[in-house]
Amino acid sequence: MIFTIARKEFVDAWRDGRFRVGAVLVLVLLAVSGLLARQQVERARAEREAATALERRNWLEQGDKNSHSAGHYGLNVFKPTSPLALFDRGIEPFVGTTVFLEAHRQNQTAFLPAQDATSMRRFGELSAAVALQMLMPLLVVLLAFGALAGERERGTLRQVLSTGLSPRSLVFGKTLGIALTIAILLLPAGALLGGLLLQVPSADAPGLWARAGWLAACYATYLAIFVAGSVAVSASTRSARTALTILLSVWAVNCIVAPRLASDVVHHFLPTPKLAEFEAKLAQDVQKGLDGHDSRSKSLEDFTRRTLQEHGKSRVEELPFNFQGLVMLESERLAAQVFDHHFGRLWDRLQAQDGAVAWAGLAAPLLALRSASMAFAGTDFEHHRHFARAAENHRRDFVRVLNEDLMNNARPGDHNYVAGRALWEKLPEFRLEPIPPAGAWRAARTEVLVLGAWLLASLGFLAFSAGRIRVGGE
Amino acid sequence: MLQAKKLTKRFQDRAVVDNLDLSVEPGEIFALLGPNGAGKTTTISLFLGFLAPDSGDALVGGTSVASDPVAARRQLAYIPEMVSLYPRFSGVENLDYFSRLGGRPHTRAELLALLERAGLARDAAERRVGTYSKGMRQKVGIALALATEAKGLLLDEPTSGLDPAASHEFSRMLRRLAKDGVAILMATHDLFRAREDASRIGILLNGRLATQLTRDEIKNKDLEKLYLERLRA
Repeated sequence: MIFTIARKEFVDAWRDGRFRVGAVLVLVLLAVSGLLARQQVERARAEREAATALERRNWLEQGDKNSHSAGHYGLNVFKPTSPLALFDRGIEPFVGTTVFLEAHRQNQTAFLPAQDATSMRRFGELSAAVALQMLMPLLVVLLAFGALAGERERGTLRQVLSTGLSPRSLVFGKTLGIALTIAILLLPAGALLGGLLLQVPSADAPGLWARAGWLAACYATYLAIFVAGSVAVSASTRSARTALTILLSVWAVNCIVAPRLASDVVHHFLPTPKLAEFEAKLAQDVQKGLDGHDSRSKSLEDFTRRTLQEHGKSRVEELPFNFQGLVMLESERLAAQVFDHHFGRLWDRLQAQDGAVAWAGLAAPLLALRSASMAFAGTDFEHHRHFARAAENHRRDFVRVLNEDLMNNARPGDHNYVAGRALWEKLPEFRLEPIPPAGAWRAARTEVLVLGAWLLASLGFLAFSAGRIRVGGE
Repeated sequence: MLQAKKLTKRFQDRAVVDNLDLSVEPGEIFALLGPNGAGKTTTISLFLGFLAPDSGDALVGGTSVASDPVAARRQLAYIPEMVSLYPRFSGVENLDYFSRLGGRPHTRAELLALLERAGLARDAAERRVGTYSKGMRQKVGIALALATEAKGLLLDEPTSGLDPAASHEFSRMLRRLAKDGVAILMATHDLFRAREDASRIGILLNGRLATQLTRDEIKNKDLEKLYLERLRA
C-alpha cells in the first residue's frame, strides 16, 4: 500500500510543471557548480605541480652556500587540493595554500584563493555542496508542504481515508514518494559529479570513494530529515498556507540565520587572537622563553656551559665539531617549544570552535551537515591542520639536516664553510600523506551523530503526526 | 449494515448529533433530510470514523467504527458533495489509485468498464480530471463504490449542483447499487430526489431524528409540507 501511495506521489510530482521547473533549475545549478569546481580544482592542481617543480629547481640550483644560509634561503611547500573539493570547497578559499619554510620561524599559510576572487569566481563558490545544503531543502519544502495539508484543503484526504487506508500508511507512503522523487531527481547530478571525480588525476587516491560514500550518506540523511519533517508539518497543520509559512521559516532559520548566528556566538565565547597580536606574542616568547624569565640568550649560555662541561673543554673552539651548528639545533629546539605551544593553542581553539558549531547542529542540521561535508571532502580545518603540521615537521627536518651538516662537516670556528647541490639533493621533496577515511570519520563523528539524532527526531515527529492526523471539514 | 446506537457528538457543549438511533439495511436507501447544521454531515463523519463520538456507537457491518475505523471504512464507499480527485490524473488513473487503496485492485480494462457502467465514456475516462464537470466526478465516485464492492455507501449532498439530467442519471445508479444489496445512507437537501429514490426518509433536527417515513408514507404525503412543518415545530 505504501508503495502504491509512493508511486502516485512520484508521478504526481513529475506531472507538476512547477516542480519540473524547480527541479531543472536545481539540476542546472548543481551541474554548473560541479563543472566550475572541477575547473578550479584542476587549475589549482596544475598550478601546484608547476610551482612545486619550480621550487625544487630553485632549491637545487641555489648554488654553493653555508648550510645555515640555505635554511634562510628557504623553500615553499604547497597544499594539495582534495579531489572532493570539486564537490565541497569547504574552508579552502579562506585559508592559505602555501607555507614558506625557513630557519627559526614557523610561518602560517599564505595566498588565500578568496583574496584573488573576481566576481566570476564568487559565482564559482556556489559549490554543489552549497546547492544541496540550501536549495534542495527548499525544493523538498515546495514538494511536501501540501502533501497532507493540501489534500485536506482539497477534500481528497477524506476521500483517500474513506477507502479504509490507515493514516499511518498514507503519511509514510507520501514520505517515501517524496523521498524517491528527490532521490531520482538527484541521480543525474550524482552521476555527473561521480564522472567529474573519475576524471580527477588523483581519483585513485586511497579512501576517496569511501569518503564519497560517507558524503552521500550525510546528504541523504539531511534531505531525509527535511522530507520527514516537512510531511510531518503538513500533516499537523490545518492549511497548506500555514504549512508553507512554517516550513519556509524553518528553512530560513536553518540556512540563513543559524550559520551566521552560530559563527558569531562561537567567536564571542571562544575568541581567537588577532594575527598581529599572535605574531607579536610568538616573537616575544621566542626571545624570552615561554615563562618570560629564561631569555633565549641566557638559555643558549647555559647550553654552552653544559656542552663544554660534558666534553671537558673550556672553549667552544676545542669541541670536536662545529659548535655553531649545535647551537642552531638547540636554538631550533627551543623555538619549536614556543611554536608548538602557541600554534597548538591557536589550533586547539579553532578546533574547539568547530566542535561548538558541530553541537550547534542540534539547533540547525545544516551546521552539522556543513562540518561533516567538509570533513569527508577533506576541506575542513582538521585537514588544513594536518597539512600545516606536516609542513612544520618538514621544516624542522629540513633545518635539522642543514644544521647537522654544519655541525659535522664545518671545521670548528670555520665561518667560510659552504655546502652544495649534494646536500640540497639529500632533502626530500615535501609529500603530504592523506588522512585515511577513518581519520575523516573521527573528525566528523559528532556531526554524524547530530544528523542521526535529527533523523530520529524527524521520524518520531512524522510517526506522531501520522497518529494524530485529522481530515478536517467536520 | 449501517447502525447508529444512541450516537452523540458535541462541539463545545452543543450536541450536534444527539442520541441518534438509526439503521440502514442492505438494499435500502435512507435519505437523511434536515436544515444546515442539523447534524447530517457530522453523522456521515461519525460513520466514517473521521470524528469520535462522545457517546453511543456507529456500526458498519457489525464493526464499531470508534474501535476499528479502518476495518469499518473497508466496507464503505463515500461520495461527498464534490468528489475530490487528483487533477493531474485521468479518471481511470484516479479510480485505479483509490481502488488499490481500498484493497481492490483491478485491471485497466475492468476499471474502464466500471467507469462506463457509472456513465463515464471511455474518452472522458482517459482525460485528466482537472477538466471534469461535477457530474463526471460524481460518476467516478460511483465507479469507486462499484470497484471496491462496498457494502455500505455514504453520500453527502451528492446531487447538489448537478443539472437535472445528471441528477437523474446519478439516482438511477444509486437505485441500481441498492438493488445489488448496498446499504445507502444519503444526507441531502434535495426533497425531490429523496422522494424518488429513498426507501426511508429521516428528518434530522438539532441532531435528533425528528421523523422517520417509510416508502409508503413518502408516497402518500406531501414531503415538502411535512418537512417545513417539522422545521417550524
